Amino acid sequence: MATTTSAVPEAAERAQPRSEGQWAVVFRRFRRHRLAMISLAVLAVIFGASLLAPWIAPFPRDDIGLDRVALPPMSVDPENGKLHILGTDHLGRDFFTRVIYAARVSLMVAISVTTLVAIIGTILGLLAGYFGGWTDNLISRVMEFVATIPDLPILLILSAIMIQNADLIVLPAWIIGPVAWIMAVPLREATQVTLLILVLASLGWVGVARLMRGMVLQVREMQYIESARALGGANTWILGKHVFPNAFPPLIVAFTLGLNGALVSEVAISFLGFGVQDPTPTWGNMMGFATSYMFNHPWMPLIPGLPIFLCSLAFNFVGDGLRDALDPRLKI
Amino acid sequence: MPSRTLPWGPCSSPYRVASPPEKAMTAYLIRRLFQMLIVTVLSAMLGYTLLYLAPGGPLLFLQQMQNTGQNRVSEEDIARLKARYELDLYLAVRFTRWLIGFPGGPVRIGGWYLLPPDTVVGCAIPGQVRLRYPDGTVEIREEGCARAVTLADLENRRTSRGILFGDFGFSQQIARDRPVSDLLMSRLPYTLWLMGVSTLLAILIGVPVGIYSAVRQYSRFDYAMTTITFIGSSLPTLFMGVMAILIFSVLAKDAGLPYLPSGGAQAVRDYTIPWIGRVEAGSLLDRFLRFIMPVSVLTFFNIAGWSRFVRASMLEVLRQDYVRTARAKGVREQLVITKHALRNALIPFITLLAGVLPTLVAGAAITESVFNWPGMGRLLVDSLGRSDYTVAMAILFISTVLVLIGYLISDILYTIVDPRIRLS
Repeated sequence: MATTTSAVPEAAERAQPRSEGQWAVVFRRFRRHRLAMISLAVLAVIFGASLLAPWIAPFPRDDIGLDRVALPPMSVDPENGKLHILGTDHLGRDFFTRVIYAARVSLMVAISVTTLVAIIGTILGLLAGYFGGWTDNLISRVMEFVATIPDLPILLILSAIMIQNADLIVLPAWIIGPVAWIMAVPLREATQVTLLILVLASLGWVGVARLMRGMVLQVREMQYIESARALGGANTWILGKHVFPNAFPPLIVAFTLGLNGALVSEVAISFLGFGVQDPTPTWGNMMGFATSYMFNHPWMPLIPGLPIFLCSLAFNFVGDGLRDALDPRLKI
Repeated sequence: MPSRTLPWGPCSSPYRVASPPEKAMTAYLIRRLFQMLIVTVLSAMLGYTLLYLAPGGPLLFLQQMQNTGQNRVSEEDIARLKARYELDLYLAVRFTRWLIGFPGGPVRIGGWYLLPPDTVVGCAIPGQVRLRYPDGTVEIREEGCARAVTLADLENRRTSRGILFGDFGFSQQIARDRPVSDLLMSRLPYTLWLMGVSTLLAILIGVPVGIYSAVRQYSRFDYAMTTITFIGSSLPTLFMGVMAILIFSVLAKDAGLPYLPSGGAQAVRDYTIPWIGRVEAGSLLDRFLRFIMPVSVLTFFNIAGWSRFVRASMLEVLRQDYVRTARAKGVREQLVITKHALRNALIPFITLLAGVLPTLVAGAAITESVFNWPGMGRLLVDSLGRSDYTVAMAILFISTVLVLIGYLISDILYTIVDPRIRLS
């Protein structure tokens, strides 16, 4: 938790400013952001539950029971006397089980999308910024074009087309296998999840690429880059060893906020029915079903809704905390 | 002077080449319009590619019938349907017919045929080749063309005026064979009302909040407002919308309190609300009650953007030398803020307005879906759900064009409002 720093260690820090590394400073400043630390804890709990889903889930994921439809939270199963902590959904499936499996899918989709976006965006941004010339021209034109197309319509159209024909698209096993394993879903359900990840990533990289390009354009003019070049360093070495680490900090903030963006997009798309389809639970499609039953069972939308709310807010707070911690202008 | 760009605004146009000096305005405009045309055609191509790749069109049903073999569908039936949806033409020809309505038939200049009537532009019935393998199995493969479509055939068909000229073709599922533009026009007023009112409200609330937060930076008001707007912008509209319905419709109704009806723009039959009384379906009160929730959710979501933007811009201006000079001269603080700071802080604000333009069309697809609001965003979702891709493409195309127009307006406004901007 946030430690209150008295005046004495502050003075000591000022006396010997080089005693701690850059990341230690960042971490110390981040810890002071109380909401960000709480958010991190919340995220850790939800993430942990999602990782342990196959072990802590009290019921099978798709166990339909028509004699226990839409039970309220904390009710006892009529058959085997086990407790449904969060009740059951419109098909009698245990909500707690599904919500942690859904956390697995939703969070992992967000993480995979953001990672893909970060990798593609960083590579393209580095190339465009560092080499300039026709490389920059080409990449920038593509970025302009993708940025011009309104994201929500194109996202919905692409995912609708992909998902409605998921069985026509054959993806190689070396992609499907790991995805199924990471998401804790059966192999046959992994295709649509993969397609959704690809759609989201294919439109999301522009922001990161722009950010990286801008950073590299600044860093490129620094003297240490010039001296690295004077030493006869190869481009890959300069890019990897000198340019990237110095252009890196804003990427962390972008990554955290990107996690939120990807999560919200996945939720929205699945909610509208163009994302991951029903037997596979995600917070989005659970929300979709819950809203259609909420007039008779008002607690239902809260069950997938609260995790969405918490994660969304937490990602934003952590991003905010990281931005404050990384901003060199705020250095104390 | 360097040209100022807005790296944060939703309307920081990537096409802003360099702002023009006044004399070169016409040349600049021509260049920009040309650029816009290229991007428009490119995005139309992208849309059309998606349209072409997307299965689930009108032929899917027929093919399924043919495959199950229950009803015998002759090749003639398929050819007729293909002709109706132009699926028998080559992709390039279909695309130009869709884009600019060309060719509508044989092309002649004077008495000469530039493209003679027997030019083949497609294939009505594909040829079939029976392949007999050495192991005795037989496969029927489509190869070549049994009956070609020529330019002369096109003369008898209804030809679109072209999407570039505002003819979006015909809806295939939602409203069979009605022009897409009719469908769009019937939904447009709802979206304009929703987006217009919520944007206006967000500006009217967000801008003063932003100014006040900046002037009293780090005050209690500032902290409260930055926290509220932070939360408002972090929450997905989906979540806010569902929670609003839950609290103000479902729970309020269950508790016997006055509640807000949800779903649709007007009721089907009359209903009674406690304390207010009987509400007639389709009356002004009914429409208003149904309007409140979606507008509030969108407003709450958008306030954050505007107030943060104005706050940041205002803080930057307050740090400028001329503000300090004004204060040093002894100008009253109120005057410093309204005359010196605010007017300069609102410069980037004007360009942000142009960024609102494209959101007017499909910017609220999720909110509209949650509240069942019959606007354009909802139409997009419906059309995708029912594989009516012509409608979806029209919406995508219109919003892309609006984005481009928004960029152009913002760039022009920028040069007009801020005389500091000029560069080769």
